[in-house]
Formats: sequence, C-alpha cells, structure tokens
Amino acid sequence: MVDAIALPVPRVARTGPLNRRRRHAGLLFVAPVFVFLCVVIVFPLGHAFWTSLHRVRGLSSTFVGFDNYARVLGDEAFWHSLGTSVVFTSSCVALHMVLGLGLALILHQLTFARTALRILFLTPWMVAPAVGATIWLWLLEPQFGVVNYLLRAAGAIDGPVAWLGEPGTALASVIAVDVWRGIPFVMLLMLAGLKTIPAEQYEAAAMDGANAWQRFRFVTWPNLRYLVVVASTLDIINTIRHYDIIGVMTQGGPAGGTEVLPVLLYNTAFRANRFGDAAAIGVALLVLVLAFAILYVRLTRPDRPETAA
Amino acid sequence: MTRISALSNTLLWVTTLVALAVTIFPFYWMLNTSLKPPVEVFASPPTFVSAHWSLGAYETIFRTRPVGRYFVNSVIVAVGATALSVSLSALCAYGLTRFFPRGATPFVMFLLFTKMLPETLLIIPYFRLMSDLGLLNTYLALIIAYSSFALPFSVWMLIGFFRSIPREIDEAATMDGASILQTFRKVVLPLARPGLVAVALFTFLIAWNSYVWALVLTTDSSMFVMSVGVANMVGEYRVQWNELMAAAVVAALPVMVLYAFLERHLVDAITAGAVKG
Repeated sequence: MVDAIALPVPRVARTGPLNRRRRHAGLLFVAPVFVFLCVVIVFPLGHAFWTSLHRVRGLSSTFVGFDNYARVLGDEAFWHSLGTSVVFTSSCVALHMVLGLGLALILHQLTFARTALRILFLTPWMVAPAVGATIWLWLLEPQFGVVNYLLRAAGAIDGPVAWLGEPGTALASVIAVDVWRGIPFVMLLMLAGLKTIPAEQYEAAAMDGANAWQRFRFVTWPNLRYLVVVASTLDIINTIRHYDIIGVMTQGGPAGGTEVLPVLLYNTAFRANRFGDAAAIGVALLVLVLAFAILYVRLTRPDRPETAA
Repeated sequence: MTRISALSNTLLWVTTLVALAVTIFPFYWMLNTSLKPPVEVFASPPTFVSAHWSLGAYETIFRTRPVGRYFVNSVIVAVGATALSVSLSALCAYGLTRFFPRGATPFVMFLLFTKMLPETLLIIPYFRLMSDLGLLNTYLALIIAYSSFALPFSVWMLIGFFRSIPREIDEAATMDGASILQTFRKVVLPLARPGLVAVALFTFLIAWNSYVWALVLTTDSSMFVMSVGVANMVGEYRVQWNELMAAAVVAALPVMVLYAFLERHLVDAITAGAVKG
C-alpha cells in the first residue's frame, strides 16, 4: 500500500498545462462518487442533526434547541434501551469471537473438504437477516416449533416455552439468532489470519516439545491477537447498530425487553411518529458507534508496522 | 502416537459435524416445512422426513400471493444498485489512484466512517427527502440507498486493486495514443476484473438482503422486495408456515446459488480489508 503511494509521478505529467489537464480529467473520475455520497450520506446526516433540534409535526417543524435531547435523556426508556444494547452487543460479540475462533481453529486443522465446509458454515451469514429471523420464528414457535419439541424429547424442559413471550428469554433468543448469524464472519477473518502464520513457527514449537495448548498460547495467539482486536471492534460496530433480526422477531418487545437502541429509534420514528426524539436517539447512537469507529481506524491505520504489508 | 492423533482427528471431525448440524439445521427445517402439506405442518411430533413432500406451497404462494412480484422487484433493485455502484466506484477508485494518489488515503478514511454510520439514523432524513421528492414506492429510491451503502466498501476495495496494476501499463497505452478514457476502459478495467466481480457480488448481496430501508421506503405492497414480503407474512392473522417457509426459500435461494459459484472472489474481498489493513 505504502509503496504504491510513493511511486514517482511520470515526468511528462509534471509539465504545466498537461498536468492541469490531467488533474481536470481526474476530477471528472472522482466527482460522481463525491457528489453522490454528499447527497445521500452527508446531507441526510446534517438533516438528522437539524431534525434532532426541532419538533416535527407533520409538515411543520419548530426549533426547540436541545429539548429533544433533554427529553430523551430524561426518559427511563432510553437508559433501559442503552442497557439492553450493551447486554445484546457484548454477549453477541463475545460469543461470535469465541465460537468463531474455535471453529476457525478446527477447520484449519482439517485435511480435506475445507472449502466445502467453509461454504456450508458461511450460509447463515449469506442469507438476509430478516429471512433468517423468520426461519427462527418458526423454529421457536411455542406450540409446533421444533426447538421446543427437541428440548422436550431431551428432557430439558417440561412444557412448551414461549421463547419470545417473556423479556428474559426473548433477549436470549435474539442473541442466539444473532450469534448463529454472526459466527461465520468472524470464522472467515480468523481463517484468513491463521493462513498468514508461518509454518516454521509451529515446526520450531514442535521441536521444543510444545503441546497443543502451548502451540496455541505461544504461536497462534500472539500472531492472531491483533486481528482479534480489529475483528471485535468491527463486530461491535456492526452489532450495536443492527436492526433487522430484532425488528422481525420481536420489534423490541415484550415490555421493551429486546428494545436495543436502533429498534427504539425505529419505533420512536415510525411507530410513535416522534421524529425529533428519534433523531436525538440516533445522534446518541452515532456517538457510540463513532467512538468505536475511531478506535477501529486508529488500529488499522496504514502506517502501523503490522499492517504495512 | 498415531493412536492419539487418530483419536484427536476423530474428535475434530465429530465437533465439526455437530457444529455443522446446528448451523445448517434451520435451513433444513425451512426446506422440510416448505415441502409439507398444510395439515402436516402442525403434526405432533413434527416429521423430519415426510412421504407427502410436494411443491404445493410454492404453487400456492406464486398463485395467491404477489411473491413473483416481490422477486422481480428484488432483482430490479439489486441489479440496479450493482450497476450504479460498480460503475461509480470504478471511476472513483481509478481517478484517486492515478490522479490524486495523496488524496486517496484521507478519502478512504472518510469512506470508512460513512460505512460505519447507523442506518436507522440515516433512514429518518432519507425517508423525508424521498417523500419530498415523491420517490417513495419507487425502485430509484431503493437503488440509491443501497448503492450508497455499498459504495464506501467498493471504492475502498477497488483502490487496492488499481494500485496493484502498475502505472507503466497506463503510460504505455498513453504513448500509443490512447486517451485517458480509452486507457481506463480498454486497458485498466479488464485487468481489474476480479475486483469488479467481487464488488458487484458484494453490492448485489447487500441490496438483496437489505430489509429496513425497503420497509420504510415502500408502503405499497406491489413494491415490496423479497425480505419485506417474507417478514410481512409473519404478521398475518393465521400464519401458514409452509407457505412462509416456501417464500423464505425463494428469498434465500438466489444468494446461495450465486455465492456457491463465486465464493472465492467474495471471501478474498472480505478478508483482504481486515487482514491486510
């Protein structure tokens, strides 16, 4: 990456008018995306801030300063939602990482059918989250769902459980579905990371008589640690703003038990029609995401020695 | 020694197969349910394999529900977003790497940030903007939304690809009298084909699988895309699970087929960013 930037600009292009013509041509290449992103992302983002400072009623809006923020931050529902988001995101990310890394370590050891298995293991991640969530609604259906049937057959539960009927089990259920969907992505990153570890390091460790755990502890983990940190940061960013699974399965219920911030935001805007409050919630969510985004960018900065390759 | 490794190898495979069973089972159950006749769906205990499997539910959903229409809507939106996003990002990535090499890095940082914005926040102003422009319930609104979400990643990836194509090739083409546009179209683009395929595939998947944007931007059921159509069937008074699962199969099949064929490209693309930085 760094080499490519440092490549010398050809001499011909350095001479006056030609250089200017090249720059103009270059602008024509870059401008469409720049304009597009300004119209579709920068402008709406600015508009969201503007909305967060206004009370919106139908077509009329009045400037109210930070009233929306004060109301949202004074509302117990917001803090409850933030707490739910923290539980949801931390459980999901921890399970994605542990299970994804475990699966990658296993797949990496296998001697055949690796590509076929990787494709199969990735399927939950390929399918639309909304569709995956719909499948799970049927699996978890209290009366006729196969999950209850299997658990009863195994003697784990006595009667049918309404998984989505109670705040606690509902939150556990949406976490389970998100874990099912999110493991493959982490597994994929870890598999790619495992491939970059030089075989000589394992050979050296084997010669020193290291057992499986020691090989993991002293060869695999030090090589992978950086990637694990980057992947969890990325995963936190993706999970904390995820709407689809909960939106389809519970819409935040029952009794707000699964109402994470993006769901609260959606419900406030499109169910309660309180756009100003929703925008204020959105800005709070944005601040959270940005904190992790800054961390991510700092971690993956191209001038860091580990990533320069 | 060999006995221990044979044992651990067996253990490895057992773990793999158990994990695989848990991962794949929901899809099996989706397929199994979609093939059952209505009565058998509510049988207790549920049947894991049935002698009465048929395509009846598929016939019903295409006859009595606008699932065919949802499917066509999804195809139009996903193909449109792919075309728009691939062409814009190829132009931009080429322009940045060839004419503004110094500007590329800050621009990539900007792209990374836009990639991380919470979409539920952007939906509010976007919804108002589209309704002001009279673009609710149109393909265009969805195509623009999905392109905007795929663009940052696409540009980012293609910058890497174009950087790996030596400038000497461009220069040789220019010496031979090719214009900048000709060089781009006839010389550089063909060389970047693997990158373009990955970016196209990635955009298509994002657009096909996206849910919440289409949920907000379409209110007319004839404009629903697959994901919204399927999720909406859940809210019905009495859910016909075999029909719902048949619709889920129709929604999932295209991405699975596409993915099985092009897995290599996509995996390289996804892992390149995080692993190499």
